[in-house]
Amino acid sequence: MNPETLRQIRGAKDLLEDAIEALAVSVGEAQRKMTRQPYALLARIEPISKPVRAIEEAHLRIADGVYFSIRLGNRLVGIAANFALDRFERQE
Amino acid sequence: MSDAAKKPAAAPGLGATLASIVNGCFGDYLSQRDNGLAIDMAFYQHNRPLALTPEALRDAFPAPTGKLCVLLHGLCCHEGSWDYPDSPVRSYGSALQADLGFTPLFLRYNTGLPIPYNGKALDTLLEQLLTAYPLPVEELVLLGHSMGGLVLRGACHFGAERGAAWVGKVSRIFYIGTPHEGAALEQVGHLVNSILHAVPNPITHLLGDVANQRSQGIKDLRHGTVLEGAAGIAAGPWLASAQHYMIAGTVTDDPEHLAAKLFGDGLVQPPQAGENVRLFPGIDHMQLAHDDTVYAQIKTWCAST
Repeated sequence: MNPETLRQIRGAKDLLEDAIEALAVSVGEAQRKMTRQPYALLARIEPISKPVRAIEEAHLRIADGVYFSIRLGNRLVGIAANFALDRFERQE
Repeated sequence: MSDAAKKPAAAPGLGATLASIVNGCFGDYLSQRDNGLAIDMAFYQHNRPLALTPEALRDAFPAPTGKLCVLLHGLCCHEGSWDYPDSPVRSYGSALQADLGFTPLFLRYNTGLPIPYNGKALDTLLEQLLTAYPLPVEELVLLGHSMGGLVLRGACHFGAERGAAWVGKVSRIFYIGTPHEGAALEQVGHLVNSILHAVPNPITHLLGDVANQRSQGIKDLRHGTVLEGAAGIAAGPWLASAQHYMIAGTVTDDPEHLAAKLFGDGLVQPPQAGENVRLFPGIDHMQLAHDDTVYAQIKTWCAST
């Protein structure tokens, strides 16, 4: 494989990794905002406001965990791909 | 067009096409991140960048002439956009070579970068070309398709401003489907983006943020920006020492048809009628870069005194 093609493959990998990272952050933030809306309404009802807050907190933590996992997985796949490309380049 | 009119047989492949599309959409980001997909501006031959040294140019052009024509593609394209689909060895460059003795040079560049930035880079590159070219250059003809025409205007401005030698050699500049007054598609895109951000909803904000990631090159097409703060036919610089020719198309055979009035050539509205303006009804934006009737007009203008 010529060095230009390898450089482009590496570039495409970097771009995909950046795009997944940026999308995971943006979608995570949008979901956070949307998640808060119904809880904010329910929390106005005094007798249930405490449990509502607790459920909201749990909900947000789970959602954050999902997006963190996506970002972590993306990063790990990126590192693995870099490692594979480096090995391939050395063999060439 | 003569069959003897030959362009290097190795045409850009799918990889180059995809890279050009990605550069058009996110080229400024790629360049900032030093991403391997970012295209460096260069003249291309056989799908490879041409080194601007006398030896490399002598190898590339075994029979060089003192008349050069430089061809610039449009947004998300590469030099392959000049090729005739039914005969990839034919292009306006190879035809001008066969018919009028011009040596063609095809530029490839990152169309996602700001148009003024590309104009400045082209000024530098043309200076290097004339220095390294194996013969004294007598005449330089420039052809720009779509965004390429705006880049040409910028390059001429920067070259003229610093008194570059190449500017004095430019005799004619052809603007083929060039959005001097801005591209309607980007204007609509900008409007939609503004609406998405104005709606108080996280999803529309997210969609707006994604749409806003489009390159500065695309955003510059909204008003036809040539220089920082200069956009449009009236405001932008025009090289005084050269003849300027505008070529436009329409999506319908009847230029008075509502679709032609609304959509122009599909992406760009035709300029107002004038002496050096020619409208080709029924020829759409992309076809303007490789059409026999368009070439016949370019050849006529090039051959005129």
